[in-house]
Amino acid sequence: MASTWREALRVPYRLAVRRSSPLFVQRVTITTSSASPASEADPESLQKPASHQGKRRRPLTAEQKKFLDRALRVNHAGELAATLIYTAQTPPITNAHPHLRPLMKHMYDQEAGHFSHFNHLLAHHRIRPTVLYPVWTAAATILGWSTGIMGREAAMACTEAVETEIGEHYNGQVRELLLWVKDMEERGEEVGEELSALVKDIRRIRDEELEHLDEAVKEDAKMARPYEVLTGVIRGGCRAAIAISEKI
Amino acid sequence: MTAVMSPMALRNVLRAPAAIRPFLVQSPRSLYHSYEHNEPPPYRDAESAILSSALAHVPTHGFTLEALSLGAQESGYRDISTNLFPKGAFDLVKYHLVTQRIGLKDRIQFTDERMGVGRKVRSLVLERLRANVDAGVVGRWQEALALMSLGENIPRSLKELSDLSDEIWFLAGDLSVDTSWYTKRATLAGIYAATEIYQTTDQSTEYRDTEQFLDRRLEESRVAGSAVGNTLQWVGFQGGAMVNLLRSKGVRI
Repeated sequence: MASTWREALRVPYRLAVRRSSPLFVQRVTITTSSASPASEADPESLQKPASHQGKRRRPLTAEQKKFLDRALRVNHAGELAATLIYTAQTPPITNAHPHLRPLMKHMYDQEAGHFSHFNHLLAHHRIRPTVLYPVWTAAATILGWSTGIMGREAAMACTEAVETEIGEHYNGQVRELLLWVKDMEERGEEVGEELSALVKDIRRIRDEELEHLDEAVKEDAKMARPYEVLTGVIRGGCRAAIAISEKI
Repeated sequence: MTAVMSPMALRNVLRAPAAIRPFLVQSPRSLYHSYEHNEPPPYRDAESAILSSALAHVPTHGFTLEALSLGAQESGYRDISTNLFPKGAFDLVKYHLVTQRIGLKDRIQFTDERMGVGRKVRSLVLERLRANVDAGVVGRWQEALALMSLGENIPRSLKELSDLSDEIWFLAGDLSVDTSWYTKRATLAGIYAATEIYQTTDQSTEYRDTEQFLDRRLEESRVAGSAVGNTLQWVGFQGGAMVNLLRSKGVRI
């Protein structure tokens, strides 16, 4: 029952991407996609090694640049939060359950890798970070620490909720970027190194996030009490944070 | 300054009250900087021709409509073509600001690998101020500042100042993408604006006083910045130490 109304509320992917409102000139909203990664297109241009890709012949449109600006800012804020959540969770969890030490370290190391990757991308492409950087820092630390205190199941439920939201969010981005790639191929243009590298990176990062999700479920995330409330609140918070970081 | 805009977006802009339209039109400075394409030039050829020859008349005629119409005549356009620039003399000021900001990257090359970001910022600011001297506008710059401080021009002037500050940090190779991204840009914008005003009154040879003025401002901001940084670091360290102490006593936090 719960899953049916959730399915019904989910906005069809392509519809939600471009909405225009009277106040904003062009609102490009990043949406999420819960479709399986296996159903993604796999364009030929991405198969070529990056060094064989030339430079793009036509610049990205203003709208596409705006999308990238927002998407990369959100991803950066998300990875910042993820590293802090794991940093704060690790001491209480590994104290109580020493066997989880390698898993926590593995997940933290991957998140730290993603974070430094987005740090580099933001500086390289001159995208401003989110204004609420200190707010997300505090919120993520508190979230990680409190779920860590609540115990193994709650911490894993937190990971599950966060990674579900983030995974769907990356999924949506990959799909949007793949549509661009498809359009470019249809027009007979080179996709260019920048874009093809970006699609590959986001895909890789998305797959790693979904791996964390599976690990968390394996570690009894579903046993957390109260599971529905905990994951509901965290997922709602994630969605709000994503929407805010897109803008400011 | 026309960004390419879809008809739908244009309709939305035109629906808004005239006073807030400028805020709805995004400046063409891209949000995502691509290395595979150069940015399109900010001015069309005709605008560029008129404004650049008008700028040559600024040392004698100042930032005035007269300089603008002389520029139009000289580049082979009729007097009436100054209607291209509804803000008149302010468009001339803005042309100088925009072209010097974009041209900054070609005026200076950093060859010394070991040069720190701070020293690069200093050289970039000095180079930008030298561009004012080279264009011969320093003697007339107070007129430009007056135009920039008119109410209707303030938003665009501030935007240009923050774009310059962003450009300098980018060219200096600054890689920080946390809250200091904002504080660095705000601080440098303030320092640059103050130094530029100082430059208009500087009587020393080769603007040596301006250079010293800049060095004092940069030093002040460095001292203030490191005091804040050290305090925050100390607070963070004490907090972490307290948590670890409690954990070592067996408190389950």
